[in-house]
Amino acid sequence: MHTFYNVVSGPLAWIAFILFFGGSIYRIVRMLMLVAEKEKFIFTYMSWRYSLRSILHWIIPFATVSWRRQPVLTVITFAFHACLIATPLFLLSHVLLWDEAFAISWWTLPDAVADVMAIIVILGAIYFLARRLTQPDVKFITSASDFVILAIVAAPFVTGFLAYHQWLSYPLVMCLHVLAGDIMLAAIPFTRLSHMLFSPFTRAYMGSEFGKVRHARDW
Amino acid sequence: MAGPLKKEKAGVVDEGIDVGISRLSEAKIQSVINGVIESETGARLKTYVETCIHCGLCSEACHYYLSHDKDPHYSPVGKVKQTIWEMLRKKGRVSPEFIRRAAIIAHTECNLCKRCTQYCPFGIDITYLMSVVRRIIHKLGVTPLYIQDTAHSHSVTMNQMWVKGDEWPDTLQWQEEEARVEIPDLRIPMEKEGADIMYSVIAPEPKFQAQLIYQAAIIMQVAGVNWTMPASVGWDNSDMAMFTGDNEIMGRLKRSHFETAARLKVKKIVMGECGHAFRSVYDMGNRWLGWSMPPFTIVHAIEFYHDLIKEGRIKIAKKYRPPITLHDPCNVVRGGGLHEKARYVAHALCENVIEMHPNREHNYCCCAGGGVINTGPPFKMTRIEGNRVKAEQLFVAKTKGAEVLVAPCHNCHSGLHDIVHHYEIGLDIKFFGDIIYEVMEKPAQAGP
Amino acid sequence: MRTVTLIALPLLIGILLAATPAWSQEEMTVVDNTNFDNPQRTPSVFVHDAHNETAGIDDCATCHHVYEGGRLVEDESSEDRRCSECHDLEGSDGQPPLIKAFHTNCKGCHQEQKQGPIMCGECHIKAGIH
Repeated sequence: MHTFYNVVSGPLAWIAFILFFGGSIYRIVRMLMLVAEKEKFIFTYMSWRYSLRSILHWIIPFATVSWRRQPVLTVITFAFHACLIATPLFLLSHVLLWDEAFAISWWTLPDAVADVMAIIVILGAIYFLARRLTQPDVKFITSASDFVILAIVAAPFVTGFLAYHQWLSYPLVMCLHVLAGDIMLAAIPFTRLSHMLFSPFTRAYMGSEFGKVRHARDW
Repeated sequence: MAGPLKKEKAGVVDEGIDVGISRLSEAKIQSVINGVIESETGARLKTYVETCIHCGLCSEACHYYLSHDKDPHYSPVGKVKQTIWEMLRKKGRVSPEFIRRAAIIAHTECNLCKRCTQYCPFGIDITYLMSVVRRIIHKLGVTPLYIQDTAHSHSVTMNQMWVKGDEWPDTLQWQEEEARVEIPDLRIPMEKEGADIMYSVIAPEPKFQAQLIYQAAIIMQVAGVNWTMPASVGWDNSDMAMFTGDNEIMGRLKRSHFETAARLKVKKIVMGECGHAFRSVYDMGNRWLGWSMPPFTIVHAIEFYHDLIKEGRIKIAKKYRPPITLHDPCNVVRGGGLHEKARYVAHALCENVIEMHPNREHNYCCCAGGGVINTGPPFKMTRIEGNRVKAEQLFVAKTKGAEVLVAPCHNCHSGLHDIVHHYEIGLDIKFFGDIIYEVMEKPAQAGP
Repeated sequence: MRTVTLIALPLLIGILLAATPAWSQEEMTVVDNTNFDNPQRTPSVFVHDAHNETAGIDDCATCHHVYEGGRLVEDESSEDRRCSECHDLEGSDGQPPLIKAFHTNCKGCHQEQKQGPIMCGECHIKAGIH
């Protein structure tokens, strides 16, 4: 288990972070190059003001008609995404590992709070799964990849939750947790989890088109 | 209506589609799809398809989806799945039967109204994805017959309705003559170089709604506008080629329109109460020609009336009595932000304006636009049944007292007429121009 | 009475002697975490004598080190002092803060030796499990 842990938290973690950061930069640069190559006009229509106006409306819960029409989904998706990002970033044990490895550290969450946040992510994932399986319009467009990416995201939180509470075989669960985290990071730029990278751009473009050209709200 | 309805549902519907399909081979389909995707699309298509998280939030935006009891086939993303996703996933290896379904979806089950784009958290332009499908359908020669006919008309005559060269000035002179009964010194100035405004209309106006030109002439005359209309091609601002994916013809049409305005040395182009033409002149055609924004100031009728009333150039003799409700056309509201100006005009003209809900940018589509009504009789019931939700919305406005429905867009006007008739809602449908003509102060009528 | 004393005294001494190792083990089964205001984890399990016996550690200074001016002082040990005397919570005077000092001292050695616990929950065992 010593070796397993050291592999997943050492070389594999390095690879995961390189793939995450390198892949993210690569995907964004490629997209911008493609715009420059084939759809240069898009740059012409971009506007900081309308981009930010649009992004701002859509990252605030209930600030758009679409969010207001779906109150349950809105609460869950915002809680899910906020916890998804904040929990691993501000988890005490993660920050301690950063400190031990690179002597950098930052503010951390109390473990009890992080525990609840992990539960929120897991419940959110269960909700999304149930929605995919039961809501006809969502079910209709669901493909295998949708379940795969949901599993990729849920796995680090399920294993992290089990590891924190030391349920099941602790050392194995802990190693699987690190592995799951590696997989998620590496998968972000190369699966539709890349909406994390691209959605600000698509949102900004549509915000610009609606604001600058069409003089209409896009929320 | 039971007959054609059954026939439509049975499948065989449209000669343009059916004959086109019969000529297709899988190899041709593949080369056209991949050709369009490789040479005509780029980061937008790729990013939209790879970013969509399949959440279904766009579903509730679509009137077809809502009108079909939330049948997932009609949700915007459902339509994307049934068309472009499959084409991309299979790298163009789809069957003629698939193309047939794609043509029906893209041309008759989507109005390109952009409402779904407003409901997507990522702002994915589903309208654009459907336009790519229509482009592929066009290049495969499977466009529905009736709308293809209008595109042919554009190509041959540079107007949408096969209006012949002499019929156009003839119609203008005829309407001038008619209007002179009312205002003896009225002119419809043709080819007046250096006028402030070139007034352009869509070809259905001279073809079968010439009274709209008459009304416009009265309004222009009373307001003392220095205006003109071209006598030759370039007068028609409509553009069905934009909706069939025939971008080359769209470019020719808009070039002709802009060049006519340039030839007449006008300052602005004012257009009649038409939505799709505004989209073509203001947003689409200019881009195809390389203008990021149109080379002329484009003023839609709503804005034009707004300015005339605000500046006191036309005065209201007596406000319109029957309560009205106002339909927000997608192309001038989601596409032009004219909703508040439309309300200003409505309140200036009418005593009682009853809002329908949702309204402004979130209004339900008429289900006629995006070229859907132009696919003609075979698909009439598709758009009527596909817009039950509009009927419900109108019915609520009616129960609140509305008697007249103002729709400042030709497509909306015709589409809503079918809705109101089919669902027996009982609303009169009018253009702003109709009401202005009725309530404005006019010079004392010439005695008989 | 004398007989009783003769029997009882060795017995008492024997019991006390037998109890002593048990006592000392009771004293040192976890790392003292009283310095932490609001510890997020259970105190780290650490059975001092058993650990050292297994690990074969005789020299106290292996863990109870003394640093001066950033340098390890050979042949000096600090088992008579509390770790927190040098390592306060904030890590003043350039010393690693207490948490980090504990972690690097234990985990660092376990990593070097390629044995012993290295994952959080292997030391901070949840109450009720152990």
